[in-house]
Amino acid sequence: MTVEIRIPKLGLTMTDAVLVKWLIGAGDRVVKEQPVCVIETDKVTLELEASGEGLVHPIVEPGRRVAVGEVIGYLAADETELEALRAHHATAPTGPKETPAPKKPEKIRGATAMPKKSAGRGRILASPAARKLSTTLGVELKEIFGSGPGGRIILSDVQRFAETMRSTPFAGGYDIATVAPETELLTVAETIAIRGVRKIISRNMMLSLSRQAQLTLHTEASAVALRDMRALFNTSLEEGQPPVSYNAIIVKAAAQALRRYPMINAMVDGRDIRIWKQIHIGVAMDFGKGLIVPKIRNADTKSIQTISGELNDLAARAEKQHLVPDELWGGTFTITNLGNWDIDHFTPVNNFPESAILGMGRIVERPWVRDGIVVPEPRISLSLTFDHRIIDGALAAELLKFIKDRLEDTRLML
Amino acid sequence: MSSDKQTLLEIYRTMVTVRRFETMAGEYFAAGQIPGFIHLSIGQEGSSVGVCSCLRKDDYVVTTHRGHGHMIAKGADLKRMTAELFGKKTGYCKGKGGSMHIADFSIGILGANGVVAGGLPIITGAGLSIKLRKTDQVAVAFFGDGAANRGPVHEAMNMAAIWKLPVLFVCENNQYASTTPMHYACSAGDLYTRAAAYDMPGEKINGNDVLAVREATASAVARARAGEGPTFLENVTYRLKGHYEGDPQKYRTTEEIEIWRQKDPIEHFGRMLAQKKYLTKKHAAQIREAVQAELSEALAFAQNSPFPEPGDAMADLYSNP
Amino acid sequence: MSERILTCSAALAEALHEEMRRDESIFILGEDLVAHGGVFGQFKGIPEAFPGRIIDSPISETGIAGCGVGAAMTGMRPFIDFHFSDFLTCGMDELCNQAAKIRYMSGGQVKLPMVVWCPDGAGLRAAAQHSQSLEAWFVHTPGLKVVVPSEPADVKGLIKAAIWDDNPVMFFQHKKLFAKEGPVPEEEYVIELGRAAVKKEGRDVSLLCYGAAYYLCLEAASTLREDAIDAEIVDLRTLKPLDMDTVARSIRKTHRAVIVHEACLTGGFGAELAARIQDELFDELDAPVKRVGAKDVPIPFSPSMEDFVLPSVADVLEAARAVTYR
Repeated sequence: MTVEIRIPKLGLTMTDAVLVKWLIGAGDRVVKEQPVCVIETDKVTLELEASGEGLVHPIVEPGRRVAVGEVIGYLAADETELEALRAHHATAPTGPKETPAPKKPEKIRGATAMPKKSAGRGRILASPAARKLSTTLGVELKEIFGSGPGGRIILSDVQRFAETMRSTPFAGGYDIATVAPETELLTVAETIAIRGVRKIISRNMMLSLSRQAQLTLHTEASAVALRDMRALFNTSLEEGQPPVSYNAIIVKAAAQALRRYPMINAMVDGRDIRIWKQIHIGVAMDFGKGLIVPKIRNADTKSIQTISGELNDLAARAEKQHLVPDELWGGTFTITNLGNWDIDHFTPVNNFPESAILGMGRIVERPWVRDGIVVPEPRISLSLTFDHRIIDGALAAELLKFIKDRLEDTRLML
Repeated sequence: MSSDKQTLLEIYRTMVTVRRFETMAGEYFAAGQIPGFIHLSIGQEGSSVGVCSCLRKDDYVVTTHRGHGHMIAKGADLKRMTAELFGKKTGYCKGKGGSMHIADFSIGILGANGVVAGGLPIITGAGLSIKLRKTDQVAVAFFGDGAANRGPVHEAMNMAAIWKLPVLFVCENNQYASTTPMHYACSAGDLYTRAAAYDMPGEKINGNDVLAVREATASAVARARAGEGPTFLENVTYRLKGHYEGDPQKYRTTEEIEIWRQKDPIEHFGRMLAQKKYLTKKHAAQIREAVQAELSEALAFAQNSPFPEPGDAMADLYSNP
Repeated sequence: MSERILTCSAALAEALHEEMRRDESIFILGEDLVAHGGVFGQFKGIPEAFPGRIIDSPISETGIAGCGVGAAMTGMRPFIDFHFSDFLTCGMDELCNQAAKIRYMSGGQVKLPMVVWCPDGAGLRAAAQHSQSLEAWFVHTPGLKVVVPSEPADVKGLIKAAIWDDNPVMFFQHKKLFAKEGPVPEEEYVIELGRAAVKKEGRDVSLLCYGAAYYLCLEAASTLREDAIDAEIVDLRTLKPLDMDTVARSIRKTHRAVIVHEACLTGGFGAELAARIQDELFDELDAPVKRVGAKDVPIPFSPSMEDFVLPSVADVLEAARAVTYR
């Protein structure tokens, strides 16, 4: 039986994806769960696995934007079925070469309607007035989400986009020769388009630093109790079970702190402050494909072991690009750990639109004065960046102290 | 109505002018210098010149696609007529009308008309205008036996009759509506009898006898000026040339044409003038030479005139935009 | 400027009284005018005030139109009453081949100051041969001007301009609007041909209309306001010459256009206007130009069918919502 290969809906807001490349040649055999192709949404890049065994018949060429639910190819059970498919659906080129994904309309804040099926298929649909205004304002239509029929970009889309852009300069958007003419003397080694995950990061970083009043507090804590607690967890590991990480313990401490200080588990929305009921803590991860921040949902209700298990799972799938978009958004607080790279102190940037982020350095033995005597002690640096518009310095300091206390005396977490 | 020698010689000269003008037009059309198509009234000069010889400058005429004779007889300028035929900027219509649409409102020529019978409702309107303005002008519509069968003729004649308008309906029955013989297309055989239906005087006249036409017209004009209403004149004549220049004329025989050539109105009138000793052969030759000189001048004027600029096409549509 | 309330008919009659008093060359010609002051009472008082200058004609539309042409080029200012605009077909040669072209064909030798007054429009259960809106035919004929007023004040001001225009002017008045009342200035005034009027200002969509469709737009605009759609109403008033400047100003503001007329859609004036808008204002448009008009059938007799065929307020609302993406 012939099985269709469709673009799956991988998250609440996902409406389409770019087919980046086929991993299997036309007519080649795949087995169940073997990756068939790579797709890229505006949140993640991931591999699509075969739902069963069969011969692949691709019908969409790489580089095309495809709507959720649309058929991009088929799995034929045998050669006869494959022949029948070829007769009805032209075989799309697969090839090893990676076709760059076309620039796509990003969903921007405020543009509410869903993109329609035809949006972004080659020609950008836009009303003449929208085109004219975009030219006048110097914004690119491909950046703008169309809310009109068939995904047509209409005047109000451009106006809303321009409004956002006015207050949110994008990292790109300028011509380097005009801001730094001397770069003409340099030779380009490589050009990489800012798109996909990089674009999201870029915009979010700019939003974060341009729209919040960020301030960072630094402190450090004794890591003795922390180290002991982790060791304790890991002495009773079952066969094959990954060890509990420091991150899991710190996520738990942070979740408790946020429960205690709800104003920090909050965001600015227009002229209001929204304090969230849920505590969803993101943990920044980087596997060389751009920073991603998978979430531990309702972290305050979960045990350290559970949190640790989830983190391990998220990390494993993130490394293989198997995360789905819903696992990447909707956080209320973030922690970021640069200890692996021997960083002691740093100033994290809020994961916009969240209002605070906790940064951790490495755990390292330092001379420490205790009871008048210099002793070696494992120490961990902590930094808390927060949005000073809604979080006062003392409150932020209290939260940081709350975490520090629990790391230094882990019994407080029980 | 004056019938002195001078007047009659003037009428003769006008007939010759019409004939020579149209002969020249036919030649230059054949030579490809006149664009489009032209309709000649050669053989019908008795009617056109006879009628117009009774009109004042401020009287109105409307004519047809076969209107050169009426215009020349009403006093149109030969230079501007010729230039218009050649499509030149100096023509009566600045090249916008051509042979079929020549007009000179300054001498009461309300225009030739490309639509058969198109002039009749217009002349009734001119008649109504005369009546409302209370002047003693008359308004004359020339039309053919073909036009006589169109509906507007009925409406125009009836309206002119009920309002007693100073209008002359001059039907030049030249025997053919394009290719269709008059005896085929007109049920009653005669056209003048239709006037009775409008309680309007109607008269059948030998259109090739310029003096007969003149006499009938004079009395109709007098009735009109006196406020006694319209008159219908059927001037029976014959067009010696085709419907248009280049017409294969398969609808008639050369014998028939030859019979009518014997009744040529100009030769007929010339013989009469000779009998009266008003016109010698020498004098006739002088008239032809003088007319030819005038036409040569008109031709030179037309040929030396510039064509309109293409963009001139956009002018003259509205009096005020 | 002080005002009083007049009907469209009274506004027309008043204008004619004023101008016929002013100039003896103006006369009225048509069918059934004297006995009742016109079949719609549109010439009330004129037969008494101007005897001999309002003339009953036989039922001869060809002759009437032709008389207008002949009189216009011989020093008169005829006002031709066409009884029902549907009968224009009987005078087409006189209007389109003669009146429209004679000045041009003669190289600009003559003026044709002539008003062709045509009661038009549907809604009176008068069926297919007494209900049409034929203005587009005449817009398509160079040499004619075409006026289609809606409100009484427009009727008065525009008919004066039409009378004093030196060209043939087709003047269409909707039969259903004869009794329509509206304020008319006390003082004498003329509304220049080729000037549209912004009858209601708005930001979101331009309703471009003329004649009876103006009232559809007026009603639609008040409903749209409840949906927070702020409609601008441009009453074109004159279709030829067309006031494209006012149309352009409106569309540059609203970026959306709906053209509304009672005439059937295909080949209607809306098609011409839409074409010009896309050509001249393409970059201003945020939505395709929508047209609202009657369905492409002759006007049927029975009320249920006639109402179905004619454009409605609901049609205007639907089009306005479509172009504003609501």
